[in-house]
Amino acid sequence: MTSVVAAEHQPYAAHEGLPPPPGGWRRLLYPGFLRAAWMAPLFFGIGCGIVVLCRWWGGWHPIWFGEIIVLVGALIAAPIGFLAGVGVFDYWVRYAIGAPTVPEDHTGHGAYSWRDYFRVNTDHKVIGMQYLVTTVVFFLIAGLLAMLVRAELAKPGMQFFDNQTYNGLFSVHASLMIFLFVIPAFAGLANFVVPLMLGAPDMAFPRLNALSYWLLPIAGIMMVSSFLVPGGAFASGWTGYAPLSVHQPMGTIFFNMGVQWAGASSIMTALNFLVTIITMRAPGMTFWRMPLLVWANFTTSLLVVIATPFIAGSQFFVMFDRVMHTHFFDIAGGGYPLGYQHIFWFYSHPAVYIMMLPGFGIASEVISTFSRKPIFGYRLMALSLMAILVLGFSVWAHHMFVSGMAPWLRVPMMVTTLLIAIPTGIKVFSWLATMWEGKIHFNTPMLWAAGFVSMFVIGGLSGIYLGAVPIDIHVSDTYFVVAHIHYVLFGGSLFTIFAGIYYWFPKMTGRMYNETLGKLHFWLTFVGFNATFFPMHLIGTQGMPRRVSDYDPMFAHWNMFISVASFFLGASTIVFLYNMITSMRRGEPAPGNPWRSLTLEWQVTSPPPRFNFDEIPQVVGSPYEYGVPGARHAVLNGDRTAEEVPVH
Amino acid sequence: MSAHAEAHHGPPIAHQSSRVNASVLGMLLFIASEIMLFGAFFTAYFFVRVVNGIPWPPAPFELPVFVAGINTAILVTSSFTMHWALQSIKRGNRAGLQGGLLLTFLMGLVFLLTQAREYSRVGFAPHDGAFGTIFYCLTGLHGAHVFVGLSILLFMTIRAFRGHFSPENHHGVEIGGIYWHFVDVMWIVVYSTVYLI
Amino acid sequence: MRRGSIVQLIVIGVLAGAIASAFALIPNWLPEPASKEAGRIDFVFWFVTGICIFVFSIVAAVSVFAVWKFRAKPDDDSDGAPIHGHTGLEIAWTAVPTLLVTSIAVVSAIVLAKDDAQGANPLRVEVTAQQFFWSYRYPESGNKESDVLRLPVNRSIVLHLTSKDVIHSFWVPEFRQKQDIVPGIHPTLHITPTKVGTYPVICTELCGLGHALMRSRAIVMTDDAFQKWAAQKGGA
Ligand code: HEM
Ligand SMILES: [Cu+2]
Ligand SMILES: [Cu+2]
Repeated sequence: MTSVVAAEHQPYAAHEGLPPPPGGWRRLLYPGFLRAAWMAPLFFGIGCGIVVLCRWWGGWHPIWFGEIIVLVGALIAAPIGFLAGVGVFDYWVRYAIGAPTVPEDHTGHGAYSWRDYFRVNTDHKVIGMQYLVTTVVFFLIAGLLAMLVRAELAKPGMQFFDNQTYNGLFSVHASLMIFLFVIPAFAGLANFVVPLMLGAPDMAFPRLNALSYWLLPIAGIMMVSSFLVPGGAFASGWTGYAPLSVHQPMGTIFFNMGVQWAGASSIMTALNFLVTIITMRAPGMTFWRMPLLVWANFTTSLLVVIATPFIAGSQFFVMFDRVMHTHFFDIAGGGYPLGYQHIFWFYSHPAVYIMMLPGFGIASEVISTFSRKPIFGYRLMALSLMAILVLGFSVWAHHMFVSGMAPWLRVPMMVTTLLIAIPTGIKVFSWLATMWEGKIHFNTPMLWAAGFVSMFVIGGLSGIYLGAVPIDIHVSDTYFVVAHIHYVLFGGSLFTIFAGIYYWFPKMTGRMYNETLGKLHFWLTFVGFNATFFPMHLIGTQGMPRRVSDYDPMFAHWNMFISVASFFLGASTIVFLYNMITSMRRGEPAPGNPWRSLTLEWQVTSPPPRFNFDEIPQVVGSPYEYGVPGARHAVLNGDRTAEEVPVH
Repeated sequence: MSAHAEAHHGPPIAHQSSRVNASVLGMLLFIASEIMLFGAFFTAYFFVRVVNGIPWPPAPFELPVFVAGINTAILVTSSFTMHWALQSIKRGNRAGLQGGLLLTFLMGLVFLLTQAREYSRVGFAPHDGAFGTIFYCLTGLHGAHVFVGLSILLFMTIRAFRGHFSPENHHGVEIGGIYWHFVDVMWIVVYSTVYLI
Repeated sequence: MRRGSIVQLIVIGVLAGAIASAFALIPNWLPEPASKEAGRIDFVFWFVTGICIFVFSIVAAVSVFAVWKFRAKPDDDSDGAPIHGHTGLEIAWTAVPTLLVTSIAVVSAIVLAKDDAQGANPLRVEVTAQQFFWSYRYPESGNKESDVLRLPVNRSIVLHLTSKDVIHSFWVPEFRQKQDIVPGIHPTLHITPTKVGTYPVICTELCGLGHALMRSRAIVMTDDAFQKWAAQKGGA
């Protein structure tokens, strides 16, 4: 991690991209998938060897024990081998042993052809794209799983799957959506945008950034592949409550470890964002001049760094209880099963804000730009982010109102939970006030952002119901909660992710997307979404529990309706994919600043130059001064592009 | 994405917007995260020992308080030698750097080996009730951190002997050192909660 | 703002409120209540619903009005009014929600305290959950066992819940009461049935492959019928 920043200043050569790999057998040693293809199995072998040796030495029988072999060999050692193979560690290994490191010629930085997206790259823009494409792939897989869930639920009784498979379907669906779509998709967008917005040439630790990305496919493939192991996929929900998860088939450890890899990835990115935001802001970019997206990622990253280790802990405990027969959650041995929920929710409540605050940031950017107005109450907006950050750590037990925890905890937790609605409300009101008297242009990003605000209001209000303990006692673990989480995560996070993708698409690809298809995508999704999820409130309060493959026939009509709506909703994604793929290839070339936005990323070409700026800009004012005559956010050397830019 | 004319330029030098060194800040944040990981394990400890109120240690088990105490002394001393190493290189004293790092590494190694020996003699295993679980997981988590710290120390030592680091450029030592101090302080917490109280 | 706009805004708000109220009143949101606790919980539900409709109407009025009136012509490149904030407004929308959520918290806390209190002469029933069925035991009636939860109407009931394996959760929608049963923790649940009838007992915590089918029935009977049933040997 050290000297990464310093290394940027070393001499560089003028390569255009990586030199071609050597021919012959030496190619096997060259970082990339080929090397990963033999290093992963090698490490798998080493992992197995260590297990067998230890068991032989300790006298445990059988020496060859399936679950531990899978855990150590396939879920820990092989991924490390893969990472070493693709080359994320190369620089560090040389550095650590004091060997001369490759002079920083920036060959691993930036993309010259599509191939450069498939190797370790240190350019935050390339990494951002890698993130986004990967997360969209997992979004599609998770979405397909949801379609299967809805197919089974269309009618009461069992149709297509047995119970265990069904439980696996919704568990993998939720885990992928949360750990491999929403959280990393926001990280991907921020990866692309935050350094640009700050006026920085890259992230603080570009190699760490590359590592964070490469952990993701590992986590995702792990979770998906759990369907292939004996006993099927992990089936105790994305919450994986102990003691159930301790006694489930082997698929569970794929969840336990998948979460560790994804969690490590998010901690590294968060750390990187924090350091970048603190130490690499352009001159003049004080904290009170940062765009709200940067503020949002700053608070989110703090949440990630502080909270994520708790889910790591909870999953370690479950894993130890399984493979080492420890007694964290086993009452007979003196363990405390409820402890799992406390530890899990101490992460996972902050996690719901990890999945929402970056969306707040995107919404702020989009709404201000497309309303042609300054953000209303900028400071209060930033402060409410901080308030949510602080309060977010004091409400975890609202997921446990009916769990049987100490009864006195319920009222204080209810109070803090309801208090969180206040900063959240402030944000909603401020967005509306930003639109007020604006000149609103309903381009696709703005449609998504406005759709987000309206859907998030509904999700927030249903949150108030859940926060009131007596109501929660009735609706906890019913479809009402399913409706709530989808209004906040689908209507909230996903809508803002789409807003962000459409908003920055021209910047990322250098081409415009198709506006008509974008709007079509929004309206289909908006209608499909409400038709799918609003009725869930109703069947929930009427008595349908969540996480069931079969239900009382009295809910048959609504479930059929919901399933049909959900297929419609799923189909709307095709419009999105078609638009993205065709526009990326044949869309109109995008100007540098198609939205006439003031933030820094729009002041450079689309796509941005390899090092973002020829010269670090000088920030002179707020990023949202729309309608203020003569106001500027930053002065760029763009004003004198014709001049020769001195080489450092 | 096509190549740009700027491709022949290096990146512009990022503006330093904070007096804190980026790598030091990164390490501090990483440690914050590590503290929370220990926090999760201590929460489990709290549930077992305080909420469930199991005897600590339950008869007939005993904790080797004395041996672990000596081990604690060794680890704490290694923090001082680490500090010495850093101060030496700041003053340009390479021999001090090398000696300090080597001593620190050796003490860390002794600590880890003593702990391994303790494991094999202590008379209970992780699956012997929640007490054994918490004992092994807390000390084991810490041991894993010592192992990581030792690897970092090893690399620093190799680099020190290969002539790296100088009074102007000693961030590598400073940052590794911060981590090592963290590992030490964490041990004091683990030792007092698991062995002493 | 012009007079006309304010009128339009209010009209939209009232319309939105009316639509939201229709959504709240037309479908049957809550099953017929069958316990004292249900009545109180329903009160909180409607109390919160009232507040939510109020908030929703305001938000809907403002957003619909904004989308309708402030939409720019496609070729209009001008900017909106450079308004940066308004301290009074910001204080208002911090203070009013604070009041609203405080009132919800107070009402909830009171109801919670009432629902947690047991009445005089409570009937104790021991509920055991295991993968994947429920069983009930009546210590007052010589530990009579049953796999249907039979309860006398209008008497305070205290359920003592135990799980034998993983976490389950006891829920009767008509009673509105729900309680998770974590192994090793023995929670209680207070119910005062007020209506004779048969209601579903549903497990609401994912407990393994049979979770969806882990159901039984709660039968509320007149006191006489219950005493008779309790006195006879055997018979669920
Ligand atoms: C006004 C703010 C909010 C309040 C008062 C609130 C309240 C609650 C409460 C009390 C629960 C627990 C329900 C239960 O399990 O019985 C819950 C569940 C949940 N909330 Fe929220 N919430 C709010 C906003 C959000 C946001 C912004 C998100 C995410 C972006 C979110 C995501 C979730 C999720 C994922 C669950 C379900 C977790 C599970 O059991 O799987 N909520 N919410
Ligand atoms: Cu929460
Ligand atoms: Cu169940």
